Amino acid sequence: MKNHKFFSFLLTTLFFGLAPSQIFSQDYYVYVAAESEDEVHLIHLDGKTNKAVIAKTIEVGRYPTETDGPHGINISPDGEHWFLSIAHGNPYGMLAKYKTGTDELVATTDLGMFPASMEISKSTGLLYVVNFNLHGDMVPSTVSVVDPEYMEVITDIETGIMPHGSRITNDGTKQYHVSMMTDELYEINTAGLQVNRILSLKKNAMKMEGHSENSKEHKENHEKHMKDGTHEEHSKKENEMKEDHSGHDMSGMKNEGMKMMHAKPEVKPTWADPHPTKPLVYVAGNGSDEIIEIDTEKWEVTRRFKSGKAPYNLEVSHDGKILVASYKGEGATGIFDLESGKEIAKITNSRKVTHGVAISTDNRYAFLSVEGIGGEPGSVDIIDLRTNKRIAVVETGKQAGGIVFWKQTAP
Amino acid sequence: MKKINLISRILGIAVLTVVLLSLNSIAQEKKIVFETDMLSLKLNEETKISAKVVDADGNTTQDSLVFFTRNRRSLTVTPDGYVKAIKSGKFSIIARSLTANRDDRVSATLAVDVAYPPVQKITFSDTPKNFYNTTTISLQTQVVDEAGVTRDNVDVKLTSSNPDVASIDAFGNLKAHKKGDFTITAKAENKTATWKSKVLDNPIASMEISHNYDGKTIRTGDVITFKAMAKNSKGDAIGDAPIKYTYIAEPDDNLGQGASAQIAQSGKFVASDPGLFTVIATSGDRSTSATVKAVPRNVQRPLTLVGKGIVSHTRTSDLWVWEGVDGRDYAVTGTWGGNGEAIFWDVTDPSKIIPIDTVVVDARTVNDVKVSEDGKVAVITREGASDRKNGIIILDVTNPRDVKVHSEYTQDLTGGVHNTFIYENHVYAVNNGRKYDIINIEDPKNPKTVGVFELDTPSHSIHDVWIQDGIAYSSNWSDGIVAVDIGSNASADLPGAGGSPENPVQLGSYAYPSGWNHAAFPFKSESTGDFYVIGGDEAFPYGLNTEGANRAAGWLHFVKFDDWNSPAEVARYQVPEAGTHNYWVEGDILYVAMYNGGVRVVDISGELMGDLYDQGREIASFYPSDSEAYIPNATFTWGPQPYKGYLFLSDWNSGIWALKLGESTSQGTN
Repeated sequence: MKNHKFFSFLLTTLFFGLAPSQIFSQDYYVYVAAESEDEVHLIHLDGKTNKAVIAKTIEVGRYPTETDGPHGINISPDGEHWFLSIAHGNPYGMLAKYKTGTDELVATTDLGMFPASMEISKSTGLLYVVNFNLHGDMVPSTVSVVDPEYMEVITDIETGIMPHGSRITNDGTKQYHVSMMTDELYEINTAGLQVNRILSLKKNAMKMEGHSENSKEHKENHEKHMKDGTHEEHSKKENEMKEDHSGHDMSGMKNEGMKMMHAKPEVKPTWADPHPTKPLVYVAGNGSDEIIEIDTEKWEVTRRFKSGKAPYNLEVSHDGKILVASYKGEGATGIFDLESGKEIAKITNSRKVTHGVAISTDNRYAFLSVEGIGGEPGSVDIIDLRTNKRIAVVETGKQAGGIVFWKQTAP
Repeated sequence: MKKINLISRILGIAVLTVVLLSLNSIAQEKKIVFETDMLSLKLNEETKISAKVVDADGNTTQDSLVFFTRNRRSLTVTPDGYVKAIKSGKFSIIARSLTANRDDRVSATLAVDVAYPPVQKITFSDTPKNFYNTTTISLQTQVVDEAGVTRDNVDVKLTSSNPDVASIDAFGNLKAHKKGDFTITAKAENKTATWKSKVLDNPIASMEISHNYDGKTIRTGDVITFKAMAKNSKGDAIGDAPIKYTYIAEPDDNLGQGASAQIAQSGKFVASDPGLFTVIATSGDRSTSATVKAVPRNVQRPLTLVGKGIVSHTRTSDLWVWEGVDGRDYAVTGTWGGNGEAIFWDVTDPSKIIPIDTVVVDARTVNDVKVSEDGKVAVITREGASDRKNGIIILDVTNPRDVKVHSEYTQDLTGGVHNTFIYENHVYAVNNGRKYDIINIEDPKNPKTVGVFELDTPSHSIHDVWIQDGIAYSSNWSDGIVAVDIGSNASADLPGAGGSPENPVQLGSYAYPSGWNHAAFPFKSESTGDFYVIGGDEAFPYGLNTEGANRAAGWLHFVKFDDWNSPAEVARYQVPEAGTHNYWVEGDILYVAMYNGGVRVVDISGELMGDLYDQGREIASFYPSDSEAYIPNATFTWGPQPYKGYLFLSDWNSGIWALKLGESTSQGTN
């Protein structure tokens, strides 16, 4: 109780102490990765003049004469470090940790095939990164769980085919991502390190329960087999089951026929973002041109919003009122009012292949990364969310992709 | 306003400091306690560990823990504490609490000692039948542990039962001192092995030495095989007399000269510098010697610029030069980190290299370009496609002035195709960094995958593939060179195994420790008939500035294959100030792109041994650079191709170049 009161006092003091600098913040900073340039840019927007520039460029990657492909980027909850997934490797990708501000490389660790989007849980302090595995083979992939202090992989949680869009609830307890080639939404228990639930995003789909190596049942069985000396036999059986994928809707499928026997995806979901305050998750239906709303209490799709062509990434504003989606297929950005479910604005981007979305903490600006095509520079298009107009474009290295809002400060 | 901001900032910082100090002290109060201070395991043993978080009073808290290790390849640790020892050694397991607040988080480390399995057996290898007085032999032992693993990290103690007869040192050198019996005991851990033998009278009355260059001029780099023979008093050869070789060097240049030559205990000798060399063969207290004179190799020839096609808007990658169906000569170059272009050139007159067409595809990098044997079809690779499907583009190049797209092929190639080779209507496409797909292009508008080759080693990766006589030689980074029969024919230097494009069959492989294997090129020496595969490195230990001058590292590894099962790395070509990229062998001449070291032309005639660079085998060098280049006035040579008496190059910074290797101007060899 004594501690509680002390912290309440501290938090109150902290709020009022820092409030003026928040109110008058006018400098905005985002990091954006240029996937075909092996660079990360720090973009600075002057909120007073609406002028934006590249404040700094950081060269990233491991192998100089090959494009390593920085893809996903995110910042630790304390803002001290930024994390970058490097998609290509020999053959595995990696996670790199940099110090924000100085942008020094701190450490790296190897991940799976084509690691992509990631986020750190405020609850566990662990980083959850999906291994997108864009390498042709239609096989289940993993979510790597990394200790961002030690930069070591703690475990790999098996998930669907071509997982993407790793985002975590505000309380840090649930991670959501989608399995692009099986039209599924996955929910991971961040503390239990297990798949909690899988939801088919197809219309008229059934609910599915996940099977996880880390489930309570699995743990109990594991302990039993360790004790009675049948662990190896059990593991063998389990591996056979995994190859069979009998826990998923893949009955009758054999390993070698896996990629042929999967039903062609309809939704091709590419991103999932939980609502900041409500038990809702929003998914980008890249193949079905829709935004899908899932009620996580009912664990069912509650609404589908018609969107522009091929929505790819999305982000719900911090006040939970709007949703900004990148329309990869038409080089545009869609803004939705979440109460009505209506697209209230569509803004044409400065070039084709719109990729990522980041919204400033004051909900004033949306920063869209736009890849461009071929030798064309990428860009960060900045939209004023009060007017829903594009107010600045910053050209970047080729194929601007992963993007994250870092901070806003007083000038 | 500024004043308000300043005050608020100071207040904020003060409060934050208090908060952090406070939270830190909380974290310090807690600690993780493992149930054991140290974990000792046997190899392959499994166990479950546990730990708890306790507060300053020793009370267990409700914090959750996860376990992991920094030694994932040696130790399996699940987050809930199941451990399996995969390798022997000393490792650690980390436990950390799962907390919302970073500063409330605690962690601790548990030391793990996975014991090596006990030694099971020691054996002596290659023990001589006869051991003659005054001679010295090297006695080898092999240690195998209970897991069946041959160990080289076990201390083996060697002792002689009768050191006055035969003594042995810590390195296994066994010296015979007088006639008599002795026993050598090898002890490792609690296992011993013995070898009983005797020192015999030394029958050696004389020694003779000869070599295979008698009467011939010996140049630096020439490998001379010395053969020493021990004879008894009747003049009969003693075939099992142990012989050791060494040499005395008297190089022409005595001004601080370094090592001037190299000798192997097989009697093979090569001089790097000109001078007198006395090779000494000894057997016990007998010896013989022979002196040879090495003269400069004098292979230098002029390498002159004939023409160039400067690419100033982007970086240039690989090239291919071919004779078109109209009888004219053409080249295609790729581009790197640009707009997905492949540039076609008329090089019929190499002094006037003319761009004639550019194909632009949806990609950022067209890393590789290849043209079919009949000059009708080209394949270019794609990386950085906007739809991320990458794959290859198959082109109709029957009219290189108007190149048409036959087809785009992305099936299973979405991770990006980095290199290809076209061989007998099939494309071998190295993709995803893991494998090569074999794609039938008999109908170039409808390509289809007919086979795949992929290694099954842990974390395997691949970079390039080259095909000769129906055998594919791939370069696989840490897995090295891998030879695969994809339809070997009678011209192949070593036997195949009935492979085909649909059924590729691995023949042999050779890996080296650095893991830098980036290219592989097979060749049969015209002068000796020996068959080699050159494994080429790529390395940038000094980093790479994509907008400026650079320095690479790495060298070429000459691997001699007498058969598929016994490859031997016998020589290297290493330029100290540069590193290797792509290369080509024609006749007994090597052409190698050395990035910042330009192109080097190297004499690889005769037997190869040692460092070819040191031996004066470099025929010529050329550093392409141009003030109008994408990176002006800086050399970064990507790849060479000898073609119809010219040497064509692609340079990453500047484009395509044509050179002419002139005749030697030296008079004689010395």
